[in-house]
Amino acid sequence: MLKTKIRNIEFNSPIIAASGTFGYGDEVKKFVDLSKLGCVITKSITLEPRIGNPSPRIFESESGMINAIGLANLGVKKFCIEKLPDLRNINTNFLISIAGSNFDDYVKVMEEIENCDGSHVGYEINISCPNVKKGGMEFGVDHKVTLKLTSELRKLTDKILIIKLSPNVTSIEKIALAAQDGGADAVSAVNTFVGMGINYRTGKMTLSTKFGGVSGPPIKPLALAKIHKIYNEVEIPIIGMGGISNFEDVVEFIRVGSTMVQVGTLNYRDPSLISKMNDKLKNFLTINKINNISELIGNYCE
Amino acid sequence: MIIKKRKSKFKIIWSMRKWSYDYINWRLVTAYPGGMKYAIKHPIELIKDLWNYLSWCQKVDQDIS
Repeated sequence: MLKTKIRNIEFNSPIIAASGTFGYGDEVKKFVDLSKLGCVITKSITLEPRIGNPSPRIFESESGMINAIGLANLGVKKFCIEKLPDLRNINTNFLISIAGSNFDDYVKVMEEIENCDGSHVGYEINISCPNVKKGGMEFGVDHKVTLKLTSELRKLTDKILIIKLSPNVTSIEKIALAAQDGGADAVSAVNTFVGMGINYRTGKMTLSTKFGGVSGPPIKPLALAKIHKIYNEVEIPIIGMGGISNFEDVVEFIRVGSTMVQVGTLNYRDPSLISKMNDKLKNFLTINKINNISELIGNYCE
Repeated sequence: MIIKKRKSKFKIIWSMRKWSYDYINWRLVTAYPGGMKYAIKHPIELIKDLWNYLSWCQKVDQDIS
């Protein structure tokens, strides 16, 4: 009923735990029923270890969140030694998120992981992180660079290749098309919107970096619009995300064109909520006599 | 009009009792450069952040209930 496919890989559910919100995947296996999730995406991995931006780097805003974590992670070498073997034992599929500061970084990280014989089903390429001053965004805002990077990474792997898109662009459809032309199997959309917070009394900025990425329910209508625009232009599956906090949101994202969805900010409240969402989604399909969730993809009326 | 009762901060902390050490450690690494070491060295910042976080959890719980 909830089974979903991207290329030749079958997922138990259309619901994915978004990168950066579920650790590397193995930290939650003791208290979350991972078999109910379609997939877990690891924290973004970079070539070198990163401690990220100075504190404060997370700010809880009205029902949402602004973060400027700055890709804090172990680095690819330590990830391959310490995390990748443990991820063999998690009870669901997992994807590895890759981020970089320049073109070569992405290529080297993927090459390194490909040589590690992991059990991951694919990669999500983070070309849209708004928090790293040097990297990320410049890939996400330029369709030519997106095409070149996707084509280059496509040559390195037969596994699923997903490009994570930034909403902070004039035409997200153009970037999605570039990812498709470069050989991506899917696009995930959208990453966080650039935002900031300030204390009205003291005038102090809430994040050390001034700007951060806004996520959570406040961005949901914006995300739905971006996803629908992509749906009208590309043929590859879309993994929708942006403020999903209940099963009703999942259905909405699928109806506007997503094949799967990612849940992010909600995991900061409680990572086990996502598996409960899965049960409620199943219940909704049963009550409404929908045989498979895929029947709802792009199923909307004006 | 439905009035939703706000869950207490204590109840929210209690609901987190199953979280593993590895997960809590990862959350601290996400929040602070240096993770747990930073949190121990800056207890006031940690308490203030924890308070804000619990208030945020209360709001989220009201929205999703």
